[in-house]
Amino acid sequence: MTLPELLAWLQTTAVATTIQESQYGFPLVVGVHILGLGLSVGTLLWVDLRLIGVTRLGSRVSDVYRSLAPWFLFGFTMMLMSGAMLFTAYATAAYANTYFRIKMTTLVLAGANALLFHTVTQRAQAGWDDSPRPPIAARVAGFTSLALWAIVILMGRMMSYTVFSPP
Amino acid sequence: MHSLFDWIETTAVARDVASSAVLTAWLSATHVLGFTLVIGSALVANLRALGALLQRSPLRDVIAPANRAILIGLTISVATGALLFSARAAEAAANGAFQLKMLLLVAAAAFQFTILRAVAARERLPARNRAVAAGAAGLSLWLGLAVTACAFILLE
Repeated sequence: MTLPELLAWLQTTAVATTIQESQYGFPLVVGVHILGLGLSVGTLLWVDLRLIGVTRLGSRVSDVYRSLAPWFLFGFTMMLMSGAMLFTAYATAAYANTYFRIKMTTLVLAGANALLFHTVTQRAQAGWDDSPRPPIAARVAGFTSLALWAIVILMGRMMSYTVFSPP
Repeated sequence: MHSLFDWIETTAVARDVASSAVLTAWLSATHVLGFTLVIGSALVANLRALGALLQRSPLRDVIAPANRAILIGLTISVATGALLFSARAAEAAANGAFQLKMLLLVAAAAFQFTILRAVAARERLPARNRAVAAGAAGLSLWLGLAVTACAFILLE
């Protein structure tokens, strides 16, 4: 099965046709996607702001991360599941969309940034965990995360204007 | 009032927004960026008041920066929202979801910057009933706003 065939097949699945044809399927799934965005990126950005040193939030970096992680991970699950459902319904158009491609590339970069932070920068966290201004590597990771997620949000909304309702 | 909305739609800015799908899309994208900052910050502030996160942090150490971020997010959202509104003011003003969204926006912001701030200024660890009640009320207002905002975009 070629990629175009796979994308076309995705659009014929039960999930895809429900979103395409039911009156409330599409708005409901997009609504969950937007609320998941507010919960995930909206709470993750406070970990980033703590890393950058913009705010201390009265806690160590590790406490802020541990406290907020369940919320942003739940939000990301909401966003990932609803996003996958939306993709199945508009797979061919989405795949060909420039904003979608930039969004997906930026998502991968955001994941790589998080991985780099967890595997390298966090090794020495005990030394700066309580610092109001973490070291440059941590600040760069926080700033990069903020910038990448802002691009994901902007591209996601631009995509919705060009895939779901072409101008 | 109807003539006011009709007049808004005839302004040069409104006509520019209405005639450009690309400008509308970028305004909407920036609007969602501001929305994310507002909702995320409001969630962190009100969930902290509820005692659901950052329990070791004094309430005021969370509310103060969250309120500053909400203010920045509101500035972005209101500025872009006003431009988007101008292009179809009469239609939007007559929409029930939009009216409810505006009502909840005013109520949530007023609650956040007056009652929750006052509760945070007096509160000591651990969280007391007053903070928990304020957090629950604030959370309800902001979540109501988020849901009606989605409803306005998606069900019109």
